[in-house]
Amino acid sequence: MFLPSRRGFVQSAAAGSMLMPGILSELLAADTVDPLAPKAPHHKAKAKSVIFMFMSGGVSHVDSFDPKPKLIADHGKQVVFDHPEARNRPGYEKLFLKKPNWKFAPHGKSGTEVSELFPRVAEQVDDIALIRSMHTSHSNHYNATLGMHTGSFSFARPSIGSWLSYGLGTVNRNLPSFIVLAPQMPYAGTQVWASDFLPGSHQGTRVVPGKEPVANLARRVPTDKRQQLELDALKAFNESHLATRPEDADLAARIRSFETAAGMQAEMPAALDLSKESEETLALYGLKRGQQDGFGWQCLVARRLVENGVRFVELIHTGSSGNWDSHGNMAEHGKLAPQVDQPMAGLIQDLKRRGLFDDVLVVWTSEFGRTPFNNTADNPGREHHNWAFSSWLAGAGVKRGIVHGATDEHGIRAVEKPVHVHDFHATILHLMGLDHEKLTYRHAGRDYRLTDVSGEVVRGLLA
Amino acid sequence: MRSAAITFVLIAASAQAADTAFFEAKVRPVLVTYCVKCHGPDKQKGGLRLDSAAGWQTGGANGPAIKPGSPEESLLITVISRTDDKTRMPPGGKLSGPEIAALTRWIKEGAVAPVGPARVGGMTLAEAQSWWAFQPIKRPAAPRNAADNPIDAFIQSKLAARKATLSPPADRRTLIRRATYDLIGLPPTAEEVEAFEKDTSPDPFARLVDRLLASPHYGERWGRHWLDLVRYADSAGENSDHPLPHAWRYRNWVIDAFNADKPYDEFIREQLAGDILAVQGPPGDYASRIIATGFLAVARRFGHDIDKDMHLTHEDTIDTIGKTLLGLTLGCARCHDHKYDPLSSKDYYALYGVFDSTKYAYPGCEFKQQPRDLVPLATPTERLRGVFIASARTQQVAYAVTEGRSHDVKVQAGGDPEKPGSVVPRRWLEVLGGQPLSGGSGRLELANRIVARDNPLTARVMANRIWLHHFGRGLVESANDFGVRGSPATHPELLDWLATEFIESGWSIKALHRRIMLSATYQQASASRPDLSVDPKNEFYARFNRRRLSAEELRDSLLLVSGQLDRTPAGPHPFPPESAWNFTQHVPFASFYETDKRSVYLIAVRNRRHPFLGLFDGADPNATTPQRQTTTVPTQALYFLNDPFFHAQAEKIARRALAKADEVDRLNELFVAVLQRPPTNRERDLASGFLSRYTNELATAGPDKTVVAWSALARIALASNEFLYLD
Repeated sequence: MFLPSRRGFVQSAAAGSMLMPGILSELLAADTVDPLAPKAPHHKAKAKSVIFMFMSGGVSHVDSFDPKPKLIADHGKQVVFDHPEARNRPGYEKLFLKKPNWKFAPHGKSGTEVSELFPRVAEQVDDIALIRSMHTSHSNHYNATLGMHTGSFSFARPSIGSWLSYGLGTVNRNLPSFIVLAPQMPYAGTQVWASDFLPGSHQGTRVVPGKEPVANLARRVPTDKRQQLELDALKAFNESHLATRPEDADLAARIRSFETAAGMQAEMPAALDLSKESEETLALYGLKRGQQDGFGWQCLVARRLVENGVRFVELIHTGSSGNWDSHGNMAEHGKLAPQVDQPMAGLIQDLKRRGLFDDVLVVWTSEFGRTPFNNTADNPGREHHNWAFSSWLAGAGVKRGIVHGATDEHGIRAVEKPVHVHDFHATILHLMGLDHEKLTYRHAGRDYRLTDVSGEVVRGLLA
Repeated sequence: MRSAAITFVLIAASAQAADTAFFEAKVRPVLVTYCVKCHGPDKQKGGLRLDSAAGWQTGGANGPAIKPGSPEESLLITVISRTDDKTRMPPGGKLSGPEIAALTRWIKEGAVAPVGPARVGGMTLAEAQSWWAFQPIKRPAAPRNAADNPIDAFIQSKLAARKATLSPPADRRTLIRRATYDLIGLPPTAEEVEAFEKDTSPDPFARLVDRLLASPHYGERWGRHWLDLVRYADSAGENSDHPLPHAWRYRNWVIDAFNADKPYDEFIREQLAGDILAVQGPPGDYASRIIATGFLAVARRFGHDIDKDMHLTHEDTIDTIGKTLLGLTLGCARCHDHKYDPLSSKDYYALYGVFDSTKYAYPGCEFKQQPRDLVPLATPTERLRGVFIASARTQQVAYAVTEGRSHDVKVQAGGDPEKPGSVVPRRWLEVLGGQPLSGGSGRLELANRIVARDNPLTARVMANRIWLHHFGRGLVESANDFGVRGSPATHPELLDWLATEFIESGWSIKALHRRIMLSATYQQASASRPDLSVDPKNEFYARFNRRRLSAEELRDSLLLVSGQLDRTPAGPHPFPPESAWNFTQHVPFASFYETDKRSVYLIAVRNRRHPFLGLFDGADPNATTPQRQTTTVPTQALYFLNDPFFHAQAEKIARRALAKADEVDRLNELFVAVLQRPPTNRERDLASGFLSRYTNELATAGPDKTVVAWSALARIALASNEFLYLD
């Protein structure tokens, strides 16, 4: 093949040379014919793929993964903060600490405390690296959701899955490199999985449960035989067109794309077909046989997709409504948590018993946390809180059974080893073998990267 | 390929940046935020300046402010750490611990700061003056060679230096398809192809170009290029993505302006300052000029309460104006001086003041649902008499801008409105003269500066865009960036020749089309030649560039060949009435409306990619798009295999072919409808074989069976590379 060898040439010519990373990425980007071809990482990767679980709306850290006895003791005490969600907000002139709704207890050998909200995940806590010192730059759903996915809190930028697809390519061309399992639309809409200025082949492909999980995936002609006749005839026409234009790689690539599409027609439904999964496996995810919805379905399909070589699978729990945004009543958390608790715990167990836990990085996060206070102590809800929240990583290359960082005594600010979204992203890229400062793309005169101008790999999380 | 000289400049710049990185990251922001307002170019309290090494070394009334290497002996550290009772700085309150620590460390390490001649942003003034894009445009003489068309002369002289020549002319069918798609975004009809192929008049192609330029569909094609650049959308983009029910007037204004060949300088003046011109001009132009400022109004809105994030909307405006009109990445100067180009943060805030002095129509947001400040289309006189006249126009409004309260703004350190610095008067870019922008907001003056004859950028940037859309690549490949980080022109003399032609023709875009399309360079064949392997990107134009149809061309062609295309222009989208609006970030506006009209009229929603346009690389309405990507992905192939709309168009074509009596005529009908040519003998055999094998697979008998098989054949023709790519 002509182009891969050119790529090889560019890479070897650039290795150790004075070519700036931006120019290198531009030279490599000129290979538009197969932008998804697998590429070498910057350093040896710990993880081959990512399952990114995103809880939309803002999960309360002090009710789930960040125990604060002092918050219980000081319940009702007034606190004074210039908080973005209270500033200039009528009725929010005074703020009072508010105790959690759920009890915490230590679990596993690590003794990490997790609340009753997530009893099944609590049983897996020895396999999790819990970050209690997350913080982010915006207290609005839209902006914080965009930030957690793209590193930009206002402007449209490529999503983390697109960056990984761009940086590493993918091994199975019959499936997209970046798949989003999202039954509902999240805040900020399709920007959450957009490739933006990166080539369009890196954008997330949204898969929804149901008859047609990907747009136009279902074969419209009734039989395979008929479709094959059409594909053969199309190929014959296209090849006689190509014969007089033999140098044109785009035309050849488009001919191949029909073969890939036919492959996707076969492989995607196969990847989504849970009929061959055992009762035991289904039970791990809390699924009934034949069930094709719910977070358990998303988790099990995610495992099957990474098994089939998909680089980045994002699972969005709920969307821009009916989500974790429990302003009105924290009791809503109690209805949502059981939807995800068993599936997440099952996913960890399933990956472990299949030997995939050493290859797959599992990420769990929300766009921000919720305020450990409110305008009255007996206000049943909590507000958006970007100063502190909890996230966790598990699997390939990650320490097991640890807690990283801490918030203050009331869970208000990340005070010990704070981890910003940019640091979080830098760490995920690092585990995938990419240096977040070198993974750049030249666009409009600037070298852009996922982590903007900051971000540091959180070494304390690495195994 | 990037020249060695440019690579060297970049490396040198990066090494220097590394030396002073700490100063730029930690020290300069502190000095700019807290000190330079009173100790800088505007004021020098106590005789002290802290905006240059010379300033702090000379010091003020109390001697040097800094002793490099000795923070404890440096007056600056004494006053900011407040160990001396007499002087405590800054007066507004003590600096934070990290800020004091940064200044202390910087002095301890020798107070290294960038030195050298006067700079604007990333360049010295001398460098800026010698940068090619800032040189005055001079009309170069066309090289003397065999070519009688000046464009061909420029192209051939570069080719000759590489011992290459232009390719032979493309055949007539290829040429009419190329020109028709190029100018109106649709395929020619079979009759048009036949007439052109048989035309024996002396200048058939010139007459073809004139006919296409006069078509009302021309504006729908070339207006779309402009709408890409100005990130046109039908929704506001803030968290609840409010619909813009009046934005369509601006969309149609752009289309009409291209059709009327509105001179480009006037086209820009009206978009930037149409409201000011409307008052000055004839009443007949009033409404149209108001609508033109939709260019500014459709700027993206941000956040939950969009008034709080207007600084981001201004960035969107300045970034779009910089890239679109000037080929400059002005947005880079929001947080700091441009790192490479001669653009300073002050330049940015000098323009920011212009737009902050402008009143933008308000689209509504989550907790202020209703739009306001929409601009009436009736003239002030008509409005005064409004109650008495029955003109519908008295009720009509545009999503547009008007003059606001004129004021200058402060520099925002790091682009953060919470960190105001010193006030910058509204003025034109320093590197282009820095003249004050006075008179109301300064928008009209800004527009006049942009289109002034002595502005070296505007004509070059637009001439390059016109070339880009004809050939698939600009003479400057980075069409939105004529700065240091952009690509150098492959044919700088030709670019300047086109730019002067453009200006001298009265900024006529249609005249430039004619100039370019009548060249042999445009009319040559696209076939590759063995001798061209040295130029794989075809930078020297020894052949024409084959191209894929855009998303809009693909959809419009499908509708046209199936006979479904509604060629009439569209008006507003069927949005729900404003009184019913209740959009939130939880349930934002997110509707796509179907239409059989041309795709330029499809709704563009900012926070939801249109499924079809997104699939085929349509423009992202969130940022200026100088050139579409052309990706080839399997999800596009799935569209051609399974999409219901695609299947429906194919069936309509099949039914039309089946109206003919026998297979030969039917195949002719099908091929001519889709590809504007009859099938070859080999294709006839292929098609026949396919039809009989396919029919054998069909269970049912009767006429349906024929329709099913012929529909499949029509899908193959529509999915072919020949349909999707233009030679």
